Amino acid sequence: MTPKVAVLSGFGINCETETMAVFEMSGARADRVHVNRLVNGELNLSDYQIMAIPGGFSFGDHLGSGRLMGNRLRFGLRDQVRGFVRDGKPVIGICNGFQILVKMGLLPGDEEVSLTQTASLALNDSGHYENRWVTLEFDPKSPCIWTAGLERIRVPVRHGEGKFVTDDPTLIDRWAESGQLVARYVDPTNEYPSASDNILPYPVSPNQSWRNVAGVCDPTGLVFGLMPHPEANHSTWLGATWTREQNEHGQGEGMAIFRNAVSHVMEA
Amino acid sequence: MSSDEHVRIFEVTTKDLEGLPDSRGENVRSMLKTDHGIKVDSVRVIMGYQVRSTISDAQAETLTYDLFADPVIEVAATDSRILDDFYEAPEVAIQIGFKPGVTDNSAQACLDGLTTLFPEQKEARVATYMTYAFWGVQGTVSPSELAATLYNPMIERASVADRNGCSKGHWPELGFPEVLPNIFKEPMTIDLEVSDDDLLEISERGLLALNLQEMKAIQSHYRDPAVRAERTEQGLQSDRPTDAELECLAQTWSEHCSHKIFAAKIRHVDKTTHEDSIINSLFKTHIMQPTLDIQKEVDWLLSIFHDNSGVISWNDEWSVCIKAETHNSPSALDPFGGAITGIVGVNRDILGTGLGARPIANTDVFCFGPPDYSGTIPPGLFHPSRVFRGVHSGVRSGGNESGIPTVNGAIVFDERYIGKPLVFCGTVGIMPRTLADGRESHVKTPKPGDIVYMVGGRVGSDGIHGATFSSLELTEESPSSAVQIGDPITQKKMLDMILEARDEGLIQVITDNGAGGLSSSVGEMAELTGGAKLDLGQVPLKQAGLSSWEILVSESQERMTVGVRPDDCEKFEALASLHEVEATAVGEFTDSGAFVVHHGQTPVAHLPIHFLFDGCPQLNLDSEWSPPTHLPVETPELDEEGMGKLLVRLLARPNVASKEWWVRSYDHEVIAQSVIKPFCGTNHDAPGDAAVIAPIQGGTQGLVISNGIAPRYSDIDSYAMAAASVDEALRNAVCVGVDLDLIAGLDNFCWPDPIESSKTPDGRYKLAQLVRANRALDDVCRAYRLPCISGKDSMKNDAMMGGEKISVPPTLLFSLLGNHEDVRKAVSSDFKKPGDAIFIVGETHQELGASELAFMLRDEGSGGIGGDVPDIEPERNMKVYRALASSMKSGLVSSAHDCSDGGLAVALAECCFGADSGASIDISPLQSDKEAFEESMEGVCCHYLGLVSKGDAISVSRDGEKVLLGSMSEMRDSWKNTLHGGGL
Repeated sequence: MTPKVAVLSGFGINCETETMAVFEMSGARADRVHVNRLVNGELNLSDYQIMAIPGGFSFGDHLGSGRLMGNRLRFGLRDQVRGFVRDGKPVIGICNGFQILVKMGLLPGDEEVSLTQTASLALNDSGHYENRWVTLEFDPKSPCIWTAGLERIRVPVRHGEGKFVTDDPTLIDRWAESGQLVARYVDPTNEYPSASDNILPYPVSPNQSWRNVAGVCDPTGLVFGLMPHPEANHSTWLGATWTREQNEHGQGEGMAIFRNAVSHVMEA
Repeated sequence: MSSDEHVRIFEVTTKDLEGLPDSRGENVRSMLKTDHGIKVDSVRVIMGYQVRSTISDAQAETLTYDLFADPVIEVAATDSRILDDFYEAPEVAIQIGFKPGVTDNSAQACLDGLTTLFPEQKEARVATYMTYAFWGVQGTVSPSELAATLYNPMIERASVADRNGCSKGHWPELGFPEVLPNIFKEPMTIDLEVSDDDLLEISERGLLALNLQEMKAIQSHYRDPAVRAERTEQGLQSDRPTDAELECLAQTWSEHCSHKIFAAKIRHVDKTTHEDSIINSLFKTHIMQPTLDIQKEVDWLLSIFHDNSGVISWNDEWSVCIKAETHNSPSALDPFGGAITGIVGVNRDILGTGLGARPIANTDVFCFGPPDYSGTIPPGLFHPSRVFRGVHSGVRSGGNESGIPTVNGAIVFDERYIGKPLVFCGTVGIMPRTLADGRESHVKTPKPGDIVYMVGGRVGSDGIHGATFSSLELTEESPSSAVQIGDPITQKKMLDMILEARDEGLIQVITDNGAGGLSSSVGEMAELTGGAKLDLGQVPLKQAGLSSWEILVSESQERMTVGVRPDDCEKFEALASLHEVEATAVGEFTDSGAFVVHHGQTPVAHLPIHFLFDGCPQLNLDSEWSPPTHLPVETPELDEEGMGKLLVRLLARPNVASKEWWVRSYDHEVIAQSVIKPFCGTNHDAPGDAAVIAPIQGGTQGLVISNGIAPRYSDIDSYAMAAASVDEALRNAVCVGVDLDLIAGLDNFCWPDPIESSKTPDGRYKLAQLVRANRALDDVCRAYRLPCISGKDSMKNDAMMGGEKISVPPTLLFSLLGNHEDVRKAVSSDFKKPGDAIFIVGETHQELGASELAFMLRDEGSGGIGGDVPDIEPERNMKVYRALASSMKSGLVSSAHDCSDGGLAVALAECCFGADSGASIDISPLQSDKEAFEESMEGVCCHYLGLVSKGDAISVSRDGEKVLLGSMSEMRDSWKNTLHGGGL
């Protein structure tokens, strides 16, 4: 079976083209699904095996990134979204998609899928939007199906609001414990593994996220979101320093994430 | 207002959490220090929302944390003031909001969010404001000075509480920005049977920017008995134009829309060669003709000059197009709004090409006054650092929010751009060669009977007279109605919808609504079928009461005009509704020979197509060239360390210095296609040359995008300026490995007014500069087989402020779009490893006239800028470029960088930055080594210079003697500090 991926679009989402491409390159079939086609019943999420919320500037990031789109999903598509997650189907949110998942309460989330917001992505400490390449390291003990087997990848961040925070410090310990703080910024000059809780200097940590968190998953490991863009490193010739490296050209470092989810569905 | 409607206020600020700074406040603090030298201990920013609605108290409570505030990181106040809640009262508090009627994108988003929660609140109105609270303000700075740094009185209002007010809790407070209803004025007619002076008075009073000859051409049209008879039949007053007709003619005939100077008949006299000749249209002679000649030799020029952008065939499946526009005058008045409108505007040119192309890459090139300018700024103008910050912020928002990467650009500084900044916004687009229904996508296919739709935003009183205003010089009286703020999200929704409609075959013709509004967009498309009728009564309005002529010429943004077959209308409207995009049928294409406008039942305009588009009389202009004189450059005698220090200073010049802080905040990688990015090198901070993108994900065929601009050479000879611009664009493209057999160009001229008059006594010289620049463009483009496929000109880049005239240096931006056969072979500019051999390819001459070094030495007090400017020999260069391209294909080149501002020295330093290396160079005439590369370069000028070296030193020697010695880390600091924008 070829897994079908619903790649959401509309209202300022703008990375749907490359997000569809990476799923297709991973062996899935990807559809561009305007959110309103789900709201009006023309399409139904239950016909898909994976949902992706791509990056972009939904509603211009006004009132906080991801908030207005999060509300559209939380209020307009509540049952479809909860049903999808409770059915154990993988969901990914990248950049603005991650912000949407956090603001609507799907991430870090809870067993009940109660859609209660418990964390946020605040303005970067730099106070502005930045596009720069970072190195991510993944928690090997995480239940996250998207990052299974991954150690490090290099990917770009492209955001102004990516500082992961929460107002309840006990929660962050719990998330760490359960392997939900799955992706963290690291200094590539340090040997693997080097993920640490102390905030790394700018720009190794581009936004000064708490505990250097770049991405989190829900307790099941099926819902995953991250600020950096793995889909932007789908081919070796897109790396920041590829002209300095001896490459066997082919798929880029970001692709493993998408291949993982597609295999997960195919093996299920 | 209904009885239970009232205004509620919601305020939001960052929660006090350890490890969570108020970064907005910190940004303001850092900006005040960097741009204004004002020290403040701390700043807090409060976002405010004024909501006029019928929501209940309970609903308001829901809204507070479900819409306005983030419950995790923010605190909110409803109908009270957060300023009351700070532990220590601020010393100064400033509240800033938009003036009534100015586009407030954030408020629009709020309204959308409000109706998501409470769908019945469709009639609600929202306005936003920001409140800035300051502590520890430097003693000498007054609250009003602080406020002046934060708001633009042309579009915004401010309310200020000083120390005294703050201590008593008398907080600043702006009322809800009430938009006064427009008063509908019945269409008027204008009597043109008046004296010549009165004709001119009509033009000036109405901001029509029409000259006497043009006014007389209009006068004589309305004397034609056939015209009068037709008008009587149409129910219009027969012997005089309506206000709408006159406005429509003024827009269509404006310099902005019809390029009268480039179409003029010019008598050109050259005092040095005694040439005395007539040029019948610079455009036809020097831009169009070379391209038409090249078109006979190649098969990939699909659509040139007549559409919104030029289209070339990229491969059998895809065609690509490119366009650049300027948005100079609006950016002078409101840097943010002008620039964001510029970038989203040029995106629409791409969307309006053929049957609709997808924008995939932006380029931004700016010319500003020096950011460290310390002289006085004429009243009515902003300091260059503020223009810089505002423009940058506008294109950042416009590009990033639209999901279009900014892949290439440049920033040029010169004092003469203080009067008018130049803001060039460019976009590259892509479309399938053929649609599913078999139509070629670059050909528009309208037929009489097709329905005219206006799609996207509504029409308001914003943006009236943009086209004619930009055809006038900037003065203190320049109207704020010419300023608009783009709305990228409305446009993005429209773009998604239009491209779906295109793929479903629903679009017969499309163009954007830019300058001149509906009068231009419908008028231009009416030319294709031979007529159109339009009912202004159908046009959706932002506010009721707009007069007919205002609806016709308003340049309200984010609108496309689309022609749809009657059978497809239902599908088209359904698609619009799905995307929450407004699409309204406003007229019909005809073959009546006229552009006919009604407002409901009232006839408003009847303009024959041929008169509208061909009736504008040709200008007759005089041009006279005699070369200017300058003090010569004085090059200093320095030892090797002195020369090292000189290079350190050169690297700190704003024209040379790193622009990383600014460029980094553009998304340059969305769409996941950027192969050669603005940054390269081991630390990702060395400047790239041209951009290379591989727009089909997974594919390895690429596009190369580059820019060339060298305005200062105009001080000596605009021929050299234009030649250098084209050559720089091509050199940049060659450095990344462009396919030299598939390159196309775009010319954007920004000139000071070149028409001799009492205000412009040196008009003949400025026109001669234009003639010479055009001739260079012609010569060089032919030699490079580099056809110009589209272009633009902006010919009134002067400011008259407080009796002082500031004119920009004659500027040509040349943009290049080329093919890349295999992006995996693309080359970046950073040196790769110590021991790599360094060559200089091409000839070096003593050509320091108007160079960055000459300007630096002059600014430091010695000599002038006079001397020879680079003399481009295109045939010779092309051989060099082809040899280099073939060496790259063979994998012999590990890095390549273009020598431009600051010459070889700066180029070497920049290559070293990318490798964290030094270099050891010998510029003695000609050593020989490194056989493979040299063999590959046989027959062209190519010198071995030395080696990339480990460590911090850069050294240059000549004939056994060291002539330059410097520290790379010192150079890097110097290069990086000048244009750092503050903060992290």
